[in-house]
Amino acid sequence: MHVIVATDGSRQSLAAAKHLKSFADPAKITTITVVAVIRPYAAVAFADDLAPASGKPADFDSLSFRDAADSATKAVAAVFDGWGPKVQVRIRSGSPANEIIKAAKQADAGLVVVAAGNRGLSDTVLLGSTAQRVQHSAPCPVLVVRPAPRKRKK
Amino acid sequence: MAEVSTPTTSDVEDDGGLRRSITGKQLFFYTLGDVLGSGIYVLIGLVAAAVGGAFWIAFAVGVSIAAITGTAYAELVTKYPQAAGAALYVNKAFGSRVLTFLITVSFLSASFAAAGSLAGGFASYFSTLWDGPPALLVTLVFVAVLTVVNFIGITESVVINMLMTFVELAGLILVLVIAVWYIFEGNADFGVLVDFDTGDTHWSLAILAGVALSFFAMTGFENTANVAEETIDPHKSFPRSLIGGMVTAGVVYVLVSMAAALTVPTDTLAGSPAALLEVVRTGILPLDTGFMTKLFSVIALVAITNTTLVAIVTQPRILYGMAKEDVVPGVFGKIHATRRSPWVGLLFSGAVVCGLLVVGTLVPAVEGTPLVERLALVTVLFLLFIYALVIVTCLKLRGTDEDERAFRANTPLLLIGLLGNLLILGWSVYDDPTSLLWCAGLLAIGVVLFLVEYFFGSRSSSTSAGATKEI
Repeated sequence: MHVIVATDGSRQSLAAAKHLKSFADPAKITTITVVAVIRPYAAVAFADDLAPASGKPADFDSLSFRDAADSATKAVAAVFDGWGPKVQVRIRSGSPANEIIKAAKQADAGLVVVAAGNRGLSDTVLLGSTAQRVQHSAPCPVLVVRPAPRKRKK
Repeated sequence: MAEVSTPTTSDVEDDGGLRRSITGKQLFFYTLGDVLGSGIYVLIGLVAAAVGGAFWIAFAVGVSIAAITGTAYAELVTKYPQAAGAALYVNKAFGSRVLTFLITVSFLSASFAAAGSLAGGFASYFSTLWDGPPALLVTLVFVAVLTVVNFIGITESVVINMLMTFVELAGLILVLVIAVWYIFEGNADFGVLVDFDTGDTHWSLAILAGVALSFFAMTGFENTANVAEETIDPHKSFPRSLIGGMVTAGVVYVLVSMAAALTVPTDTLAGSPAALLEVVRTGILPLDTGFMTKLFSVIALVAITNTTLVAIVTQPRILYGMAKEDVVPGVFGKIHATRRSPWVGLLFSGAVVCGLLVVGTLVPAVEGTPLVERLALVTVLFLLFIYALVIVTCLKLRGTDEDERAFRANTPLLLIGLLGNLLILGWSVYDDPTSLLWCAGLLAIGVVLFLVEYFFGSRSSSTSAGATKEI
């Protein structure tokens, strides 16, 4: 089975990847594709929260959203290191939900893993959550990993 | 979108995992929409006032200088296809942190002031539709709504972007249709097109004034560098789409200014705050004038909205880049967990523009002009300086980072463009010497910010490191 793991550079998407690893059987998964989608017209096309803090301020030269997407996919792919399945990374650009669905169709995926944001007002009032749109029209089952209820202190 | 064809360049190779999504056509419309909205609806009257019936010549010259500046941008973008724009190029060429920072601050303040004046333009067209709410309320709601729209991410839709550009074009085509109708009725007096009426000022200064004003109608093209990184086959499609978009906008401008000169007496154009509306009001087309006026106002509103949206996308992006570079406090780099938008930057930009608008209403006039208009004119000096510097940068970076695929701008043309930019800059300062004081003041704020961050900046980087450790 081919599994698509989507990341938007958020820590929640890293948690989703770890969640998949926590219960899935690596012997049944042939390939894992980590997909990041860059949104070219957005104010910040891709933000990577997963990169280790280098301590050194970045340069103006490094405002590359492609580099940010690249490092985010690598950080998520690292979760599956040595687990068994072949891991590959893909960076696409456009509308996140559309591109995740396209990636799933192209790879003939058996499962898509996405993270959903907060269980909050913003998710229900504001339209168009990526996770919702993916589970609405994906060609395969979708695992939506919701954030844990807040018991740890933030 | 990239799926339709798989170009053979290494950039788009599927196996490498890289996919870019913006086609040359989309970039063309992005440029066109960005440029068309910025000023034609308001500026045409001012240019007519400066030059007289032959003001289309001023438009032709101003637009050409802007397009030449565009070729310098195209060359640099194909060399360094990243999202940072002018600041990045200047940093590459001169390697000076202070200069880079000041360029960024100048650009940011120009962008804030432009957004404020666009909001004002929105309110004046809005009042022709519904005279109820006070202008300040309209502008504040306008800015607030656009900020929310950016937060949710509706602007990311390519379809909406294209639609708005088509509406903008439709408005200008409507003006052209009116003029063509007028010519076919045999009423047009082509003599007006060569009529110079410069008043007391010397003709060369008058033309320079017209050129400067029409040049302002082309600003906004520099924002296309925003999407450079995501353009398919940027070496080929970026120069083509950027320059193509600017030339198209320029041709439309020249035709529209000819149309306006033919159909409406120059004095009426010069005296109107919404000059293009006068063309529609002449009632040349056998349609209900009231309806046409309303339709045209709606079109103008869409045009202004489109340009303002791009400005409001660009500001938080610049702030985000600066926060990453640690020249502004790290909070500007904060990304909303669900929406993945830089919400602090967005809020801050919205608040600054709203603040400008409120202060502008409380302090109604500075040296005879409304504050926001004044700031918009002043900060255009920054833009002119940045454009000139970008041309210099382009010439200076010749020979470094050469890539045979990169677009190469025509050198003699660049020199003409540089001269043109400097002439307009010189005229603006000559015409309005106090603007230098304003610029100095704004830059001083920038320098103070730089020093503060320089000496106390380590704090913000340690907090952002703490934030990452959280989980």
